[in-house]
Amino acid sequence: MHHGNHFYGHAQVLAAYCGLDPDDPPRIDGYLQHGWNVVDGLGAGTPYAPGSAIFVWSERTRRRAWSMGRPLATVIGAPFLYLLRSEPDSPADGEREGTIWYPFHGWEGQRVTGDHLRLIDEITATEPGPVTFCLYWQEYSDDRIRAVYERAGRVVCHGYRGYMRHRTDARFLHRQLAELRRHRRVASNRLSTAIMYGTVAGCDPAVYGDPMHLTGEDTATAERVRREWPELHGAHPDPGRARATALAELGDGHLASPAELRAVLGWPA
Amino acid sequence: MIGGEMPEYAEELPPAGGPLYRTLAERLPTGVRVLVAGPHEDALVRAVADRREVTLLLRSAPDAARVDARDVRVLCGTLSKVTDTGRYDVVVALDGTGRLHSPEGSALDWAESVRVLKRVLRPGGTLLLAVENELGVHRLVDPGTPTAARGGGAWSPLGEFGSAPGRPDRLAAVLGAEGLPVTGLAAVWPLPEHPTLLATPETLRYGPLDALAALASAAAAPAYRKRSVLSDPRRLAAAAVRRGLGAELAPAWLAVAQLAARPGQAAPLAPALAAGPGGSISEVVGGPDGAWLRRVLHGPEELNGPLPSGRLLEERLLTAALRHDLPGLRRLLTGWMAELPTVPAGNVLVDGDRYARLDPSAPDSEDALAWFAYTLATGGYHHPWPAVTDVARLTDVLAGAAGLTTRPAPPPASFDEFPDVRRQHEEQLDAVRRRLADAEDRIRFCEAELGKREAELGRAKTQIAAFSGSLGYRAAKAGLGIARMARNRIRSRGRT
Repeated sequence: MHHGNHFYGHAQVLAAYCGLDPDDPPRIDGYLQHGWNVVDGLGAGTPYAPGSAIFVWSERTRRRAWSMGRPLATVIGAPFLYLLRSEPDSPADGEREGTIWYPFHGWEGQRVTGDHLRLIDEITATEPGPVTFCLYWQEYSDDRIRAVYERAGRVVCHGYRGYMRHRTDARFLHRQLAELRRHRRVASNRLSTAIMYGTVAGCDPAVYGDPMHLTGEDTATAERVRREWPELHGAHPDPGRARATALAELGDGHLASPAELRAVLGWPA
Repeated sequence: MIGGEMPEYAEELPPAGGPLYRTLAERLPTGVRVLVAGPHEDALVRAVADRREVTLLLRSAPDAARVDARDVRVLCGTLSKVTDTGRYDVVVALDGTGRLHSPEGSALDWAESVRVLKRVLRPGGTLLLAVENELGVHRLVDPGTPTAARGGGAWSPLGEFGSAPGRPDRLAAVLGAEGLPVTGLAAVWPLPEHPTLLATPETLRYGPLDALAALASAAAAPAYRKRSVLSDPRRLAAAAVRRGLGAELAPAWLAVAQLAARPGQAAPLAPALAAGPGGSISEVVGGPDGAWLRRVLHGPEELNGPLPSGRLLEERLLTAALRHDLPGLRRLLTGWMAELPTVPAGNVLVDGDRYARLDPSAPDSEDALAWFAYTLATGGYHHPWPAVTDVARLTDVLAGAAGLTTRPAPPPASFDEFPDVRRQHEEQLDAVRRRLADAEDRIRFCEAELGKREAELGRAKTQIAAFSGSLGYRAAKAGLGIARMARNRIRSRGRT
């Protein structure tokens, strides 16, 4: 099915959970939601083969997908949660420290406009500890942008999500989880997948600073996100409430057993 | 022959009967004189005739000729011709009054028929009268139109335009006003002529409604096996009872009335009386501390004891599926498969974490899960796996959701034990249309994708051709080609 199923190694994570070869996940009979979104679970512009199943993260997304004319959605929860549950946090990994900060990024072909320097000033003024900046591969490979952030802290990149099943970094989520578990806080200038992941991985979340804008972006959606999820916005939101929301958005309580997941995805028993 | 008989006509529809009516008949006082008015099953007539003097009133001459109960007097003719005034201690009219009349003479309406039945009773006599509910669940699911019936007995079919009372309390009031005070009243499920569940209106209002709803659904299942219906009578019966409408929507009511009541003469009606599929008969009675008990009259002793509490598992599963409550659905499936994996979901009551058999005498099924998958897939229900339309695959999904690690028993080759629900036909037709439209769209989508990939492949082949080998290699290859052409030309010249 769609190559987006392999983004971030999602198909690989689910194959491993199902006891199948993670290096060669079978074809998924439908579309996997590959990022937290406020629409029908599919990424914007995903070419959808009519009549195919959509595997979404949360019941809320399923209801929304139904209302948007996508009735064939099944809630399976986020692959990241499957990974989180199968890789227990070991205290030997060391104390959590500082903040991992995800500056808002665009996807391939998109450009973010905004003042990175001013954002960094606000971050260093707000964050109590050292800051690790996690850049999207696009910005990470832009020496100019990377240098700007490197002056303010450690800079990392979790990898390349892959395109058309090529160069997929199957360990993307593993690396992201390991990084998140090293930090006390997770922050961004936009509420995004990474904030959800960090929050459920035990970080206190924060969303603040210039949200920046993509070229030609419809800002109504960004405003809606701030309105709908106020409990995840601000420099110091209530971690308990934020965690409950993030868990719900990732489909906590809805994860399928390996046998159920295999049958649902159309994988061999 | 008393007049007004039908010489050529034999009743076309089944007579009143069944195990519960037989049980009631057995409870009548012995040594009394009984009129059985209208078509009743032979077994029922025999049960009444045991130690009682029975007269049978039938309008059909062929049916009257076929009566094979000994010591039974048969009156053949129409009700208005009966002249046995004050003769009977008991009148049994469990088929109602509709089939007491013939085309000869003027037809009596419901109230007039009751008056005739009253006239033949002795003072203090008892009338057992069934009244069909024209708005009962059996009518609501009936694909036929009663007012357009074509049978030989339907010369003036009134259906819901008839004059019989439309509620059990009105039935009691009307009989009371006729001088026949009602001493017992019960709602009849699932079919007027063949009840397997009788429950008093009080029980259906204040009793154990969840268990009674389960009993009503279980009663409807065998009665409607393979029968064509508009919507599923099992769900409708259960919903009616659970929502407190079990008396109002029952297919019929049974009234026990007395001509000038004398205490101790009436056949007492239990709060509920149920017949199981294996022939068991049990009654539901109130216990000392508000609990409800089941007492076996016929059948296995294991039915004795407290009536299981909780709701029918099948309904709980469907509710969870409709709510898209995946955690709840998984919990129910897991509990079911752990506790009673071979008991069909329609025979399990769930109360919290407790799973109990509704009827321990009902048969088990190795593929209970597959049957539920079939219900979920074809019964007209939303569920969390809408893209899974194949029953075998849905069974695997449910098995996974139930925490089973081994594959469940495969579904049977055909699922023809359930009612044939026409509303589901519509839904299935719509689903097929949707899937066909989706499939056509998907083919177009795939062709467009294929076109893109072919263009990519073409470009890649050109690139491969252009970049395969070094420049020297390509020059030598081109030179070799020219040389080969020149040689061929020389050779061809030499041959001419």
